[in-house]
Amino acid sequence: MKNVILLTVDALRKDDLGCYGDRSGLTPFIDSLQNKCIRFTKVQSIGPYTQASFPGILTSSYYLEYGRQKKLLPKRILISEVLKKSGIVTAGFHSNPYLSDYFGWNRGWDIFYDSMDADVNPEIPYIKGDEINNKVDEWLSSYIKEGKYKPFFLWVHYMDIHEPYTPERKYINTVDSSISISQDEMFNLFKNVVLKRDVSNRKTVRLLKKLYDSHVREADDYIKEFFGILEELNLLKNSVIIITSDHGDEFNEHGGLSHDGKMYSELIDIPLLIYDYDRVKAEVCDTLVSNVDISPTIIYLFGLEPVKDFEGCSLPPSEDYPKKGCFGEAIGKIGNKEKETDKPVYFYRENNLKVIYRESGNIWEMYNLKEDPKELNNIIDASSMAESMKKKLKPRIRRWIKG
Amino acid sequence: MKKRCAELVEKSKGIVREAFEKFKPSEIAITWTGGKDSTTNLWIIRQVCLEDNIELPQVITIDEGDAFPEITDFLIRTSKKWNIDLKWLINFDVLKCCQSHLGNTVKVKDLNERNQAELKRIGFEEDSFTFEAESYAGNHLMKTVALNQFIEENNIKALFMALRRDEQAARKHDEYFTKKEGGYLMPDHTRISSILHFTERDIWNNIKLYNIPYCPLYEIGYRSLGARTTSNPMAVGVPAWEQDLEHTLERAGRRQDKEKAMDRLRRLGYM
Repeated sequence: MKNVILLTVDALRKDDLGCYGDRSGLTPFIDSLQNKCIRFTKVQSIGPYTQASFPGILTSSYYLEYGRQKKLLPKRILISEVLKKSGIVTAGFHSNPYLSDYFGWNRGWDIFYDSMDADVNPEIPYIKGDEINNKVDEWLSSYIKEGKYKPFFLWVHYMDIHEPYTPERKYINTVDSSISISQDEMFNLFKNVVLKRDVSNRKTVRLLKKLYDSHVREADDYIKEFFGILEELNLLKNSVIIITSDHGDEFNEHGGLSHDGKMYSELIDIPLLIYDYDRVKAEVCDTLVSNVDISPTIIYLFGLEPVKDFEGCSLPPSEDYPKKGCFGEAIGKIGNKEKETDKPVYFYRENNLKVIYRESGNIWEMYNLKEDPKELNNIIDASSMAESMKKKLKPRIRRWIKG
Repeated sequence: MKKRCAELVEKSKGIVREAFEKFKPSEIAITWTGGKDSTTNLWIIRQVCLEDNIELPQVITIDEGDAFPEITDFLIRTSKKWNIDLKWLINFDVLKCCQSHLGNTVKVKDLNERNQAELKRIGFEEDSFTFEAESYAGNHLMKTVALNQFIEENNIKALFMALRRDEQAARKHDEYFTKKEGGYLMPDHTRISSILHFTERDIWNNIKLYNIPYCPLYEIGYRSLGARTTSNPMAVGVPAWEQDLEHTLERAGRRQDKEKAMDRLRRLGYM
């Protein structure tokens, strides 16, 4: 049985990856893995920010399933809990406060490092990928040394792309060496532009995207380094590695910045790759899938019985994967502060059609993603499919669910 | 054990001597919290100064307004014993605005210009904050700002600090000399971690071997001392050096869950 490793990158847009069509060479290492990967081309996150998305990834459940809670309820079953009970060693390493001990994500892990105890500075308010890698390396090395080797599940999450966008010079140079900007200036952009969601200056928004891209290039290096660690410890051959992100990031595609409560592609389209050393050639899967399918997939890879409470389905074997639409929900907050009065926003996608319902203002939208990938032309009043799409989302809208 | 301690101390002395080659004593400051690490560090630096006939650099301690009386007392006693003119760094402006009372609200508009500018710099945009040790704004003003201001006003080029590699995973690859690049309101300086290679066990072995003074809180079970309201003993009644240092977390007695997570979220641009 192989180990399973889940590698998640916070706020990584799918369209920044070379293997998903980007031409600027931001992810040379990830792209180089393709011959041993299944690449999923249509993957939806169930939510546009960490709190709304990670319940899908690690608990295969939807964000508002148990109402609006800040902490992860014990009712939700973490993949780590299931695996640990089955005798698999579980370890998680990350630096995202929303996934910390305090918010209840520490359950079921033999090793859980959330870095909340480490000192960080305002310009880089998380532990960087290389330090996460050091921590993982240290654990893996000691784990192997112990000798009583059991298969493990390892989750590693990188924060390096997340704002405040303050990349190192060497990464800025890989994107655009003509950019001349100091750390202070970048941090000021974060405070004065990103936090305020000020998109009035197009040039500034373009500059922010370039700084973001520089971080993408940086994260690719950490993933490379991580694979190097596995190789050195002779673990690459016997591990399946799932690479994905929790959500994307917006650069004024729909009038905003960062990742607020919106359901457009720049936020909910995510990359998903499954790397297996023994794969002989690149494979592409165009089936519409969701990140609630990740935990069931991990269960399948370990050869365990499916978990009843999980809402997703295992991706392999592909012939058994049911044809289904994708659903997601979040609080529709706009701006960096969520207010008690903010109301939910939902989406449902089937094939190339996506319907979005924003409870605040009772607003419906529908897009044909094939003809209008940028989601600029709302066809809710024009499409003959609108009513049937609405009908499919309505039973999912919490306030209309009876009981 | 004796041999290992001697070697560790010799190594630290080498770092300290290297620092004195790079900087004049008047350009250096020694940070001292009264904790076991910074006391050990100060003991080593002081030895080098005595041996090499170098003037002891300025010793500083930050008063964040929530100190254990036992630590304050220890600092005063040990300063006298070692003949040190300890400088207390206090952000009086913040204390004035909260009447020196923990839990009181500080209105940002009541703060002086520098403190207001500092809050702006770190992206704190609320109108007020609660004065407590782990509050984002309060912590920054009482600790970082007080230190930065001291560095700036005294033309300090280097700081002796008492970080240890085994303390946090993130420190594993730290260097003895790290240059902190300055910026707006933040002076350039070098941080010298002269006891980086000590483990928690080494610190206690060394303290016992050389009779270095330590704060009595360690005798009753504290492993790591922070602010009074956020530190707890790890094993009540069990002296720190008798606890299972190798298999338990040194900082587990420090409150870290809620405020730390909130602080990080704020820094990432949420809340």
